[in-house]
Formats: sequence, structure tokens, C-alpha cells
Amino acid sequence: MNSSTPMTPEELRTLMVAAGLFILGAIGFITRRNLILLVLSAELMLHGVSLSLVTFGRIHQTAEGQAFTIFVLTVAACEAGLALSLVLSLYRQVHSLDIRLWTELREPDVQQPPSDDSGDSSSPESAYVGIPRLTPAGIAPRAVPGEASTTRA
Amino acid sequence: MNHWIQQHPLTFAGLLLWAIGIILLMPARNGASKRPSPVALGLTGAGLAAFLAGFGRTDAALVPELLFWIFSVGALAGGVLMITARNPVYGALWFAVTTLCTCGLFLTQSAPFLAAATVIVYAGAVIVTFLFVIMLARQSGSAGYDQKSQNAVVACISAFLLIGAITKTLQTTSVDFPRPVIASAEDQKLSGSAENAAAEEDSEPKQESAGTSAAGLAMSSTSVQLADPEDLAVAAATPAPVPNQLSKADANTPVGSLRGLGRSLFSDYLFAVELAGTLLLVASIGAIAIAPRREEGAL
Repeated sequence: MNSSTPMTPEELRTLMVAAGLFILGAIGFITRRNLILLVLSAELMLHGVSLSLVTFGRIHQTAEGQAFTIFVLTVAACEAGLALSLVLSLYRQVHSLDIRLWTELREPDVQQPPSDDSGDSSSPESAYVGIPRLTPAGIAPRAVPGEASTTRA
Repeated sequence: MNHWIQQHPLTFAGLLLWAIGIILLMPARNGASKRPSPVALGLTGAGLAAFLAGFGRTDAALVPELLFWIFSVGALAGGVLMITARNPVYGALWFAVTTLCTCGLFLTQSAPFLAAATVIVYAGAVIVTFLFVIMLARQSGSAGYDQKSQNAVVACISAFLLIGAITKTLQTTSVDFPRPVIASAEDQKLSGSAENAAAEEDSEPKQESAGTSAAGLAMSSTSVQLADPEDLAVAAATPAPVPNQLSKADANTPVGSLRGLGRSLFSDYLFAVELAGTLLLVASIGAIAIAPRREEGAL
């Protein structure tokens, strides 16, 4: 039933491209400090895994590799949505996307990462004064007295 | 290890150049350089090309070869430029390039539905929302934390040790793993009704169907190998319990066909599909609950 053939060079190099995508995502996840780039790096790692799964499915001539990749896609979509809302709520508190501002969850014996934001950036985050808002314009809506009383009652 | 390096010098040199190029391309610690240096770009490109060329020539036709090179170089170069981008907007755009090239690789690996789905989900939804958030959370000028990376050297060394190990394992293991032979319709008929084959009155139509199914096999997939009759007879005598039988490709549903994928998803993995739907629901509820409200103030 089974005939043995080694991996073809096409499959081998596609697997290696997938491994390359995975390690690029890993490097990005470790080295970058922007929260959004961290999430994007995780998505890059998921791309590498998906490509591996598709290639494995092709090697073994089943549809399971592609079925798994659909689940990877689902989980990636969930992860992106949750990560974006988490990033937004974190950004609301410190007005910065720097990952180093969130070091309070580390183990107690791990030393604090060096704070190297010593004025060598072109425009530091402290220059933030707030998003400009539109000035109120137009006519104020006329309040109907009876309507207000009925809604209150 | 030494033996492997001597056997594949191009791959090893490519990995080394690639790692050095990424370390040089990373945003510097002092934040002096605004744009990547051309020397580092050249190093990374040369390393990438050497790494891919180190896997030897294939006997593929010109067009698949060309497509593979375009898509793989695009994906890996886009990934490098994404993780070294000074500006997160450019990082997201390079991620879009990488996604599109990965979809091209999906196409070359006979997964057209996945390529389309990934383009829709990533390029259509994920990238756009990420760009929205980046621009929402972005002030004038570039932030300091985008100009500096942390642990670049250590991360690159460990990551390239990992890919070196993967490469060596994939290249040097001489495992002749069992490559499944696609069961033809004739094979299924044999295994399904072995006792009917003993009675055996209609040998003439069966021969005909075997011929047509063999022709269908040759047309549908290039890597199909026909089993010889002894193997078929053995398989019919002792039907091995194959897990997830409906996920296997056969003559009517070659690998990558939408029919085969749907049959696998909604038969073997039906429970997982339901779980994935529940996961999507829970994740969307959670995202709405976590995201800051409008009455809590602007960002």
C-alpha cells in the first residue's frame, strides 16, 4: 500500500521558507518594543506554521493539513481581535505602546530592564498633550419641555 | 555537524550572512540611524539568496520555479523588513507583503482556498484594523521605543540556531517516510466488498472502471503513484484501520480541492469546527468587553 520516497527538493525548500518565517517572527517578538509590532510578529510565526501544515498535508496527500490551517486562521483572527482591544486599553492608561512600561508582571528576582529612554529619541512620548478635538459648532438642538418630562417620568 | 557544514556550505553561509544582516538591520541602540544601511540590506539579501539556493536544483518547470522564487524571496524579505521597520506603519505594510507572498506559496502548494481565505482575513481585516490602531495611537514624530530594539544579538543567535537545527534535521535525516498512495475507486470497491469479489460475475465493467479511474488519477494529480495489484490484494485482504479516512485524498478529490477540504472539515473535524465557532463568539464578546468605551474618554 505504501511506497517509500524521500522528500522532494520542492517540499524541502518550502518547509525551510516556513521555518524562516517562523524564526523571523520569533526575532521580531523578542527584539521589538512596540506592542503592535509584537502582535504582528506573532502573526508572522503563525504564517510559518500554516505554510508548514499545508506542505505536510501535501506530502501525506491528505486534506488534514489544510483543515488544520483553517483552525490556525480562526485562532489568529480571535487573537488579533483580542490583542487589539488589549493594546487599546493598555494604551489608554500610559499613552504609549512601549512594552517596557509593563514590567510589573515579571518574577521578583528578575532585574528591571534598563530604562534607556534618556532623551535620545526625536520626539519622546512626554510631548503628548492630547488629541485635538473639534470645536462645537452649529445650532444647539432645541429641547422640547414636554418630551424631557415624559422621558424622565 | 562539521560534516553537514562541509556538505552544505551555501546553506550555512547563507544562514550566517542572514543573521548578521538582521543584527545590523535592527534599530540601533543609540537610535542614530534613521534608515537601514545598504550594507546590512545587501548582507541580508545575499544570505537569503544563498540560503534558498543551497537546497540544490529541482527538476521543476520554469514557471513553478520562478513562482517559488518570487514568493519565497518576497515572503522572507518582507518579514525581515517588517521586524526591522523603524515605523510601525511600514512594519504593518511589509507584513501585508509577506502575507500576500505566503498566499502565493499556498497556491504553489495546491491550497487555493486557503490562499483566498488568508488574503481575505489578513489583508482585508487584520492589516486594516492594525493600521487603524497604529494611526490612532500615533503621535507626531516617531516614538523612542521604535528606534531601539532589545536583546537583538541574543535573539538572532538563538533563532538562527533553531533554524540551523531544523535545516540540518530536514536535510540529513534519510527517512523514507511512507508516502501514501491514493486509493483509486477500484481499490475502495475491492476493500468494501471483498466477499462479493469472490462471487465475481461482472469482471468486464470492473476492468472498464479501473481504466477510467486510472485516467482520472493521472489527470487530477501529478504525484499520484498507482499501486501494483499485489499490494491492492493485500490491502483488500487486511483493511488497515486508517484514522480520519475521509480526510484522505482519493481519485475524485485530489489534495487541495475544495470538496476534499470541506469533507474533511465537516466529517472528521466537525466537533472542532463547532469549537472554533464558539471560540470566535467568545473572542468577539471578550474583545468588545475589553475595548475602551466611548464614555470612558478618548484615547
